Amino acid sequence: MFLYSLLAGFLFGLYFSLIGLGLNLVFSVMRVVNLAHGDFLMLGAFLAYWLFTLFAVNPVPAVAIAFAGFVIVGLPLYYLLVPRLLRAENPEMLSFILFFGLSQVIEAVTTIAFGTSERSIPGDQLGRAVAVVAGLFAGHTVENGPVELLGNTFPASWVASGIVSGCAVLLVYLYLYRTRLGYLTRAVMDNRAEAIATGIDVHRVCAVAFGIGIGLAAVAGVFAPFMLGSITPAMGTEVTVTAFAVIVIGSLGNPLGTAFGGVIYGISYMLMQSYYSSWANVLPYVLLIVILLLRPSGLLGRQVRRA
Amino acid sequence: MFPDAAPLLAVDGLVKRFGGFRALDVLSLRLDAGEILGLVGPNGSGKTTCINVISGLYRPDGGDIHFDGRSIGGWPSHRLVHAGINRTFQVPRPFLTLTVRENVQVALAYGRRGDGVADVDALLLSLDLDAFADRPAKELNSAQQKMLDLARALATRPRLLLIDELAAGLNAAELERVAVKLKDLARSGIALLVVEHLMGFIDQITDRIIVMNAGKEIFEGRLAEAAANPQVVEVFFGAEHAA
Amino acid sequence: MARHLLLILLPVVAAFAILPSVYTNHLMLFNFIIFMTLAQGLNVIYGFTGYLPFGYVGFFGAGSYGFSLMVIHLQAPPFVALLIGAAAAVALALLLTPLLRLSGVYFSIANLAAALAVLQVVSNPNLEEITKGPYGISLRGVFNPTLSYGTAVAVLAATLALVIYLRNSHFGMALKAIREDPISAGMAGINVVRERVVAWLLSALIAGLAGGVFAWYVSVFYPETVFSVEFSVFAIVFVLFGGNATVIGPILGVVILYGIYNAVGISTPQYFQLIYGVLIMGLVLFLPNGLVSLLQRWGIDVP
Repeated sequence: MFLYSLLAGFLFGLYFSLIGLGLNLVFSVMRVVNLAHGDFLMLGAFLAYWLFTLFAVNPVPAVAIAFAGFVIVGLPLYYLLVPRLLRAENPEMLSFILFFGLSQVIEAVTTIAFGTSERSIPGDQLGRAVAVVAGLFAGHTVENGPVELLGNTFPASWVASGIVSGCAVLLVYLYLYRTRLGYLTRAVMDNRAEAIATGIDVHRVCAVAFGIGIGLAAVAGVFAPFMLGSITPAMGTEVTVTAFAVIVIGSLGNPLGTAFGGVIYGISYMLMQSYYSSWANVLPYVLLIVILLLRPSGLLGRQVRRA
Repeated sequence: MFPDAAPLLAVDGLVKRFGGFRALDVLSLRLDAGEILGLVGPNGSGKTTCINVISGLYRPDGGDIHFDGRSIGGWPSHRLVHAGINRTFQVPRPFLTLTVRENVQVALAYGRRGDGVADVDALLLSLDLDAFADRPAKELNSAQQKMLDLARALATRPRLLLIDELAAGLNAAELERVAVKLKDLARSGIALLVVEHLMGFIDQITDRIIVMNAGKEIFEGRLAEAAANPQVVEVFFGAEHAA
Repeated sequence: MARHLLLILLPVVAAFAILPSVYTNHLMLFNFIIFMTLAQGLNVIYGFTGYLPFGYVGFFGAGSYGFSLMVIHLQAPPFVALLIGAAAAVALALLLTPLLRLSGVYFSIANLAAALAVLQVVSNPNLEEITKGPYGISLRGVFNPTLSYGTAVAVLAATLALVIYLRNSHFGMALKAIREDPISAGMAGINVVRERVVAWLLSALIAGLAGGVFAWYVSVFYPETVFSVEFSVFAIVFVLFGGNATVIGPILGVVILYGIYNAVGISTPQYFQLIYGVLIMGLVLFLPNGLVSLLQRWGIDVP
């Protein structure tokens, strides 16, 4: 039971990292709080659902489509909203409200288009992809079914979500630390004014980060039907709060910090589920508050308290 | 002056650390009522930190601060204000959306020191802010915002005023007026601790200066004598000038 | 101040007192009163001190449950229960005072999390003995639409009086000073921590009273009803739309937006959600200080 919770928590933790990753990137680069983060995730989930039901596209290729599609949506959205916002007196607070408005718009439009009914994708779809990939590595056909890890069995969809999430964290890390644009992104994160002064095209850097942030939310959305249960247009808010809990636990800016936060969150969530299941839903909220209060500027890497 | 009388402000062995960095490294100073003490030194020598600790922005990590015989180290700002300490900020910090008059009124209402009806208009007039009394403070230019900082401080009727680079960015005429104003304040019995880079200004208003470097005092006396002190010269101009 | 009481508070209260005899949809009038009260309560903390409490509804829910549990378990008379409900909201606010150390969005998020946590606790099936868990509250014994409506008007009147006081007093000015710059506020002699907590508790008190009187009026509700984040969201939007830190801004916001809501929102909530989503975005981008800032821009001092 304990080992099971630990392993399941780790798999979910990797997925929670993916949920927090895009929010963290957008916040640390441009100090914009994307309160519509969960709604972009919801849109990604609907895209995956749509691709699957209409064109029978497996969730794994849907990841690539969702990422590319939402990066393309994110770029113009950045230029439409953020530069104007950053000129305001208190951009952080205003962004919070602005993106809250955007989240309402997304939720309303999705509801108008798809109604409020719950939707899901059969879990074995993802399992089939896992089996195919595993088969490639093993050199022989692998049966589509639950995956065994250290004597515990888990749905293949959990394992697949965990692996893709882990890869996403690594790719973002490589982007930030191994590419030129990533290097510039970190410069903007460290000191925006100085980055402008040295001639970096800050808006271009930020727009790309914004696009990637939203793209990552959509990728997380593709796995939402398997990890978060059925999808509805109203699921965004809860996801946003969870994403906040994850990035608050991890440290800001570094994607590995978010991964750390996600895993801590996932394991404690699963342990709660196993031992105090009726109280597990309180955990994200309490964890968020306690960590915000107990860990001031230090591990977050910036001032979160006043006076 | 009576050398035996307790000074208005007595700072003894003050220490302030930020992580491993000692911004104030056992600093001591004395200030009497009606005296103007200049605090000079290169950037990062701890001048502003000294003012921030005395005005309650930071808690001291060691040493004592006595004001009017009472130990005040670590008191919150509003209590220090009520005791008679106030300050201005290097980068002025008015309440931007409040009107100029409200900026001063709120300090009058909450500064609670002394009695007598203080006259907002007279105070604004004396700092050339009367024309903007009903405009939001964000419409003032930087020099005017500095004067508003000073007006807010004076509204609380301080006995000790900490002035952090008030002169920087002022033109010659404004400098002259500010110098006269500060000397008037000292004549009325207020003690002033003035942090400043403009040596001409310091020379014009101070009775005595302390030169700081790396959180420590390296010289105390008159400005003219400081220029002859090799350690001071080294700090300001580098080693090659010291010889 | 007397002028504001006469010209703003009196007409609003008179309108809500007279309207039930000429207009039959009393529930809608009651909801107007509740939202006007909540918007002004939020104005106290957000408008004057700058803290945006996304979980403001937590105090409303605490008031509702405080009221209901007193009535159910102790058969308390409604007015006693109302006071206890308000006390419950204030107690919750006291518990949450450490959140005031957080700045900006961290405060908002933590406060939202707190309200959601309280909802999870109240609706937890394990606490059915005490809170009725997810199955909701029924208070038929004290049901009294006339008296509870009148009480709601009185709560609104008191709230308006408080905001008018803040708008015209040194206390309100001090709160705005803290909002602008807490360090400078300290140097103006203001006890920043204390004044901020007082505003926070007052704001929670208002929501608690509104929640209690809401429970009394509707008398049957679920935890999700009185802890619905929509209460926070509506109140925030109404205040933003009208203009914060003024008396008439939130009133305008409620009258106009909640009016639109009643016209289109009840039958097709998603269209209303779309409208206010777009409105919020437009406000932030083009009119961040609300409708009244248009008047202020022309040099008119808006009460």
